[in-house]
Amino acid sequence: MVLLETRQLLKHFGGIMAVNEISLSIGKGEILGMIGPNGSGKSTFVNLLTGIYTPDKGRTLFKNRDITTLPVHRITEIGIARTFQNLRIFQNISVLTNILIGRHSQIKNSLWDVYLRPLSAWKREKAAREKAMEFLELAHLADRANELAKNLPYGEQRLLEICRALASEPELLLLDEPCAGMNPVEMDTLAEFIQRIKAAGTTVFIIEHNMRFIMSVAERIIVLNMGKKFKEGSPLEIQSDSGVQSIYLGEEEDI
Amino acid sequence: MKSGEKVNVLLHIAGIIGLAVVPLVIENAYYMGIVNLILIYTILCMGLNLILGYTGLLSLGHAAFYGIGGYATAILMTRYGFSFLPSLIISGLLALIFGMLLGIPTRKVRGDYFCLLTIAFGEIFRLVAQAWIPFTGGAMGIVGIPIPKLFAWTIRSETDFYYLGLILVGFTYLSVALLTLSRFGRAFVAIREDELAASVMGINTPAYKILAFSIGSFYAGLAGSYLAVYQTTITPSSFRLDESCLMIIMVIVGGMGSLLAPISGVIIMTLATEAFRSLADYRMLIIGVIMVTVLLFRPQGLFGTAAFKD
Repeated sequence: MVLLETRQLLKHFGGIMAVNEISLSIGKGEILGMIGPNGSGKSTFVNLLTGIYTPDKGRTLFKNRDITTLPVHRITEIGIARTFQNLRIFQNISVLTNILIGRHSQIKNSLWDVYLRPLSAWKREKAAREKAMEFLELAHLADRANELAKNLPYGEQRLLEICRALASEPELLLLDEPCAGMNPVEMDTLAEFIQRIKAAGTTVFIIEHNMRFIMSVAERIIVLNMGKKFKEGSPLEIQSDSGVQSIYLGEEEDI
Repeated sequence: MKSGEKVNVLLHIAGIIGLAVVPLVIENAYYMGIVNLILIYTILCMGLNLILGYTGLLSLGHAAFYGIGGYATAILMTRYGFSFLPSLIISGLLALIFGMLLGIPTRKVRGDYFCLLTIAFGEIFRLVAQAWIPFTGGAMGIVGIPIPKLFAWTIRSETDFYYLGLILVGFTYLSVALLTLSRFGRAFVAIREDELAASVMGINTPAYKILAFSIGSFYAGLAGSYLAVYQTTITPSSFRLDESCLMIIMVIVGGMGSLLAPISGVIIMTLATEAFRSLADYRMLIIGVIMVTVLLFRPQGLFGTAAFKD
């Protein structure tokens, strides 16, 4: 079953064609990878999916519903969550509060509840806190719940950002270069974490630069080059493709 | 109940009793007047803290909302025979509506432009109050605001006004606490920390900015209403840009983004203003020195959260 589909998405910045008519589909429950050299349009593509940019042409369908022009917060509400390439956790607040903010759209308290029905509002808050702790346990961060996010080591901050995205209980999770800046040990932890997310039923779409990582995690890979879809296939097919190798030649040593 | 919660409850009870007996300890009317001033600024700064400390919007127009509340109560009570309680509520709601009206066009502008627009709004308000003589009484303002009554309670002496102020501070404290401890308060903090990330969390950031701004303004309206009946006169000079600046200094010195911290700034700044009243023009210099000293040694304010440490 197709969860998300893009049809000829196109975005240009002045004369630069950042994303040039990319069509793809993400199946429910799969781990899809996207690779490509710097400037090939990967991050722009994620920003198009999540409403941060509006495409100049083309459409995005999520569960057969057109979401092309929905604002960012609505896209989160309907079940697409994301992380950022350059880590955007809320540094100065506690780890737990980070998760609770991620859970914003799932906590159904209205202003009316907050002011005039504080008891039932408080019950929902308490339930949200317990749920948030479950997400932290998933990433083995539960014992750091009350620490400021900026005091976590880098790898854990990355995991926290993923947990925060998961807290909105998305059907589709977009990870934009999740292992940027990670050491190999942290990468293994992350790979294992992503497998657990998939096992829990969430579809994962990973943009990544690191070949070794994406080959070990993704079930299907799409290669971008110069804003266009260059190749699509299983990790094995991509690895042995001479065209892909030539794109990366001299740039990525572990092909 | 956990022991931490017990301590918290006990502290609250002790605080309430302590505040209730203040007039028994301070018998001098002049000192009670200063205490009442502290109460007014506490209401103002708790509202401003919601806007500035929690949501991170630098508003230099808070005095205008204070003024809207003041004029609303003055006009309703002197010309239309309203009693105090409805005037108080209308004043708050009117400030809230004006907060919304200013929040809507400014919801997407960048921080520095937002700041300029709020200064402009504050100045427009003051100039209108000064120039629209038939409605606002111009520079002379509105005089003879009647003595307020709350049900059977006639509020006349400094002590009466102290208790009225205390009720308003209590209401402000409770309602701000409920809001900031909810998902709304967390959304405000998220916007302050990283607006783009906040929107990716499913937070409708423009709407929440308008919300924080209008609710914060609501409390300024209440404070203005209190000021009107307390002073029995309302003039435009009470709502100048200096007032907005003073409130910002109070919030920053006390500590932004935490519920009670601004009160410490209010107390220090009000006492300093009063203590150095005899120095006339040099007073502002001393206030400046206090602010610079606090910010040098405690950039997050006296009791602020870690978010403002660097």
